[in-house]
Amino acid sequence: MTHADLPFRTETPPAAAAAAQRVGTWRIDPATDRMTCSETARALLGVPPDRPVDLELVLSGIDDADRGPTAQAIRRCIAGGDHCDVQFRVRRQPDVTHWVHMLGARNIDAAGTPYSLDGFVLDIDEDKRLQLALKLRENHFRSILDTAPEAMIVIDERGIIQFFSRAAERQFGYPAAEVVGTNIRVLMPEPDRGNHDAYLARYLATGDRHIIGIGRVVTARRKDGELFPMHLTIGEMQSEGRPYFTGFMRDLTEQQQTQARLHELQSELVHVSRLSAMGEMASALAHELNQPLSAISNYMKGSRRLLAGSIDPNAARIEAALDRASEQAIRAGQIIRRLRNFVLREASEKRVESLARLVEEAAALGLSGAGEQGVALRFHLDPACDLVHADRVQVQQILVNLFRNALEAMSLTERRELTVSSARSADDMVEIAVADTGHGFGADVPVKLFQPFYTTKDSGMGIGLSISRTIVETHGGRMWAGGNDAGGATFFFTLPAATIRETVNVAE
Amino acid sequence: MSQSSLVYVIDDDPAMRDSLDFLLGAAGFAVRLFENAEAFLGALPGLGAGCVLTDVRMPGTDGIELLRLLNAAGPNRLPVIVMTGHGDIPLAVEAMKLGALDFLEKPFEDERLVAVIETALKRNGGDPAPDHDDMRARLASLSQRELQVMKGLVTGQSNKLIARDYDISPRTVEVYRANVMTKMQAGNITDLVRFAMRAGLFDD
Repeated sequence: MTHADLPFRTETPPAAAAAAQRVGTWRIDPATDRMTCSETARALLGVPPDRPVDLELVLSGIDDADRGPTAQAIRRCIAGGDHCDVQFRVRRQPDVTHWVHMLGARNIDAAGTPYSLDGFVLDIDEDKRLQLALKLRENHFRSILDTAPEAMIVIDERGIIQFFSRAAERQFGYPAAEVVGTNIRVLMPEPDRGNHDAYLARYLATGDRHIIGIGRVVTARRKDGELFPMHLTIGEMQSEGRPYFTGFMRDLTEQQQTQARLHELQSELVHVSRLSAMGEMASALAHELNQPLSAISNYMKGSRRLLAGSIDPNAARIEAALDRASEQAIRAGQIIRRLRNFVLREASEKRVESLARLVEEAAALGLSGAGEQGVALRFHLDPACDLVHADRVQVQQILVNLFRNALEAMSLTERRELTVSSARSADDMVEIAVADTGHGFGADVPVKLFQPFYTTKDSGMGIGLSISRTIVETHGGRMWAGGNDAGGATFFFTLPAATIRETVNVAE
Repeated sequence: MSQSSLVYVIDDDPAMRDSLDFLLGAAGFAVRLFENAEAFLGALPGLGAGCVLTDVRMPGTDGIELLRLLNAAGPNRLPVIVMTGHGDIPLAVEAMKLGALDFLEKPFEDERLVAVIETALKRNGGDPAPDHDDMRARLASLSQRELQVMKGLVTGQSNKLIARDYDISPRTVEVYRANVMTKMQAGNITDLVRFAMRAGLFDD
């Protein structure tokens, strides 16, 4: 039986000659496994031109990983009559392989016994490598998309989803398989849902960009019907003359929740600030008025003593009038005190709190925008004394106040560092220090620093530090200030330390 | 007027200084005025026997710091009476711990002022006050719960806070509070703090 690759050899046109380099023919005798191969087939299968060939020799030249499947495919073809169609790598040198594609079919005699297996072997190395490189790139691309926190969706010019990233699956609750091929409007609530096709048509007709390349916050719809805010950016690309649109989407739900929480904290703080500002005003008034009232009382009592020996007929009436005047002075003082006690003492809600949480939340509130100012924030909080017995909102008010003062003090300095540290101090107290690298106090800490209505700012009532100290004192702590090595100011205050046991009690 | 009846008044408020000068003068005491603790400390080496009546909240060296400085200077110092604003119970307690003889809340009754100064001038050195044992006996008569309530009261806590600390109702605290005032024979919280100091409640 002769073998039929002659046409390839005899053809002379260059295209055919080139093709001859890429296609070889072969035949296997199933009885002996002997093979006849064309010259090209020998070259492609990696067997020498002058040696008898059998199946075993061919198989031995195949890359280890592909040998088994190739042998099986050939055996199945001989035994069962399947078409042989297998791609494998031929090892040409220890570290060089070459991809080929083997195609074949068996011939049987009248009795149904296979007498030969004939076929082609094609050189597919270049295509295969290109294909693998593409596959690799696609895998890279896909893994990037899958890990990116932003969801990505590609649609065509009719709004049909072409690609739906892993993050999009998470964000919208749809598996990609369910939505790829459907219109993107299922991911939108009304009115966008009904209008999206028209948006696309208008853009394609006019080229007017409303969102492409701009980005904005829109409302999207999850599979379960829940609506959520997201930030959407859209890019456009052309592929084979058709436009495609790629949307990048960031779920803003969590961000908005964080902001809502911050908002809540802020309004609590504002409320308490007002209350304590009122309390502090009352307290300051009480203190300031107490002095003249006491002086009045002293003058009255002194006058009464001097009158005691007098023989003036009106002495008794004057004495009585002086007594009543002193009583009224004392009463005036009591009225202000009651106001002060009402506002300050009863408003306080002391619990076991985590200092780290107090500080972090207060930092979020008081230092918004600090990053833009280039302020470096450092926490050195000792976890061993994290728990304190404190009114959360009041203590955060102190911290926010100190942080804002620090930011102002550093607005004109080169170095901008804010450090919050904590350490256990004597008497079961925790000492908190807020240090900045601002302009500091100059030579000495002003003696009136903590007094009401003392301020160095153009705008400011001068009650922030005064309120802070009052709060610390109602907690049984102390507050003071000093300079630091960086030339800035450090404010210290102490709060009573709490133990785990107290936490348990509170939880009960 | 003998040297021993000199009262050294320290207050940053001019009207308070002048009115005290007037009142104490009318009550028969000799008075020397200082507008701050620094001025008093500067003059101290030349001062004779007497007693000190000082405001507790002052810019610069405050009343508490003054007591510390006097304590550091030596054992035989002048007796010190501090004047506090209302609600400065924690400061008053601290002053008493630092050896202040007594404290007065502004504004004060002249009889009490005179009585306290007279006691101070008699002492003029520092024997323990004679009624300490009596106060200890009164304190010992309190039940454990009454003692807890008293500690709350003298550290400036409200009934509500005391109630929460010991998990009892504010009404119950009021009952205990009344018992404490009766047993300690205190007319008001200021008295109670003073008695508590003398009975050694803050010594630990």
